[in-house]
Amino acid sequence: MPELNKLTITEAQAKMEAGEITAVDLARACLAEIEKQNTELNIFLEVFSDVEAQAADADKRRAAGEKHPLLGIPLAIKDNILIEGRVASAASKMLEHYVATYDATVIKKLKEAGAVFIGRTNMDEFAMGGSTENSAFGPTKNPRDTSRVPGGSSGGSAAAVAAHMALGALGTDTGGSIREPAAFCGLVGFKPTYGAVSRSGLIAMGSSLDQAGPLTHSVADAEAIFDTIRGQDVLDSTTITESTYPKATLKKKIGVPRHLLKEGVDVEVLAQFEQSLEKLKTQGYDIVDIELPSAPLALSAYYVIMPAEVSTNLARFDGVRYGLSKKGSTLADDYAVTRAEGFGPEVRRRIMLGTYVLSAGYYDAYYGKAVAVRQKIAKEYSDVLATVDAIAVPTAPSVAPKLGEKSDPLSMYLLDVFTVTANITGHPALTVPVGTGESLPVGIQLTAAHGDEATLFTLGKVLER
Amino acid sequence: MISIEDIRNLATLARLKLAPAEEESLQKDISNILDYVGQVSAASASVEREVPVLRNVVRNDVPTPTLGERESLLNAFPKREGDFNVVRKILDKDAGAQ
Repeated sequence: MPELNKLTITEAQAKMEAGEITAVDLARACLAEIEKQNTELNIFLEVFSDVEAQAADADKRRAAGEKHPLLGIPLAIKDNILIEGRVASAASKMLEHYVATYDATVIKKLKEAGAVFIGRTNMDEFAMGGSTENSAFGPTKNPRDTSRVPGGSSGGSAAAVAAHMALGALGTDTGGSIREPAAFCGLVGFKPTYGAVSRSGLIAMGSSLDQAGPLTHSVADAEAIFDTIRGQDVLDSTTITESTYPKATLKKKIGVPRHLLKEGVDVEVLAQFEQSLEKLKTQGYDIVDIELPSAPLALSAYYVIMPAEVSTNLARFDGVRYGLSKKGSTLADDYAVTRAEGFGPEVRRRIMLGTYVLSAGYYDAYYGKAVAVRQKIAKEYSDVLATVDAIAVPTAPSVAPKLGEKSDPLSMYLLDVFTVTANITGHPALTVPVGTGESLPVGIQLTAAHGDEATLFTLGKVLER
Repeated sequence: MISIEDIRNLATLARLKLAPAEEESLQKDISNILDYVGQVSAASASVEREVPVLRNVVRNDVPTPTLGERESLLNAFPKREGDFNVVRKILDKDAGAQ
């Protein structure tokens, strides 16, 4: 029998259903792997003390006749998703000792399904970064090559799955924070349509961009987690129903915006990307050239809108009601001292940038224009997606960088060039690993029409064959 | 390039106490980032802002339980005394006389 922690969710579920293994066996296999590797890789900020008890409970539920694709499945949870009674720190000193007072909706749904939570995973502080080097608790290393970053901000979640410390993980994605680390660690990563999954109980970063989603070894596993966590929620008024967007029919056509790939993409990444397009071709899909004239502006629009929302969302951390609280000389000073000590350099940088683009005198030139550009990009994407099933690009322009390689903030931001667009437009996007053997993982990203997750899963399964 | 005074002013608005060295590095970083994202202000002259498709989301006007148990919310206070959150005194009855 293969090592249990290396099974996919689908395989493990079949074995549990057949009575060959138990959830406790699975949980123990994951915990043993964590014991072996976590000190070196710094993936989990906390491994929960009751993992075996949770698994035993799942086994009991199965014995009582319950069935669910995630029943008894050990999952890793990003540290910005609230689980009642457990610390949720967003990898920040600001919330280092904060104990969540309620369950995020996604957690509530996973508990109902009987999933087992292994622990909370490292991330870039408040999900700001693309390498997990911005964690207040040290960087995570990429299990595929420990001299490299796992990507970010859901780098701990990606590394946990890649290192087989959990069978799947939850991450959050504001500008690529699920898809980029999934690509760097050789996993499937999925950002749902904006509104498909409730944001209630996620520690907010950019509220018009944030979505939670899965990181897994297979497309079917990602689908199983998505099907569990999706759905309208009274606690998040931006959630959608299955009828919000019209149903799409398969056209067997994939659009590739070649004009975006002319520069800035590594040769090796492009070669792998072309190979995966060939795979789609042999399965009867037409590969057509498409034009997205405003897409080159997506990254700029994102790095205006996101910091603007960050500066607003993070205004709540003032040391008065919860979280870190430091004393200064006056009340205003209390806030300033608390926030300076609680937030790390990248978070402070984005708050400053957001404050700038929202300030009177600059608002129209930056924020106002970025919102207009955002609408234009969204329209271009929707128009193209009416003619093709999906738009394909490499998930990231390079393989995972070395630790410390991207020390200049702007060079780090450029890693997001292909992922931010789906957050800007609200479209669902899936990354699937391509390439084989010893080379570092590369991902292909597919973006589909609003609400058309089904097409992405269909295409993803073609690609992983 | 954004000035150091601008950086200090932003820090005040953002309620962040910055060390002098960080003011300088932020002056450089933010100027670089603004140069890059400035593409949007330059390139979007022709973009008309459209009214986005919005929908109202309403719920029945009935009380629902708050998120989280009362006790756990109280326990999150940085300084708790009984059922009170201890905060800095901001009103001083003698302040007017000073």
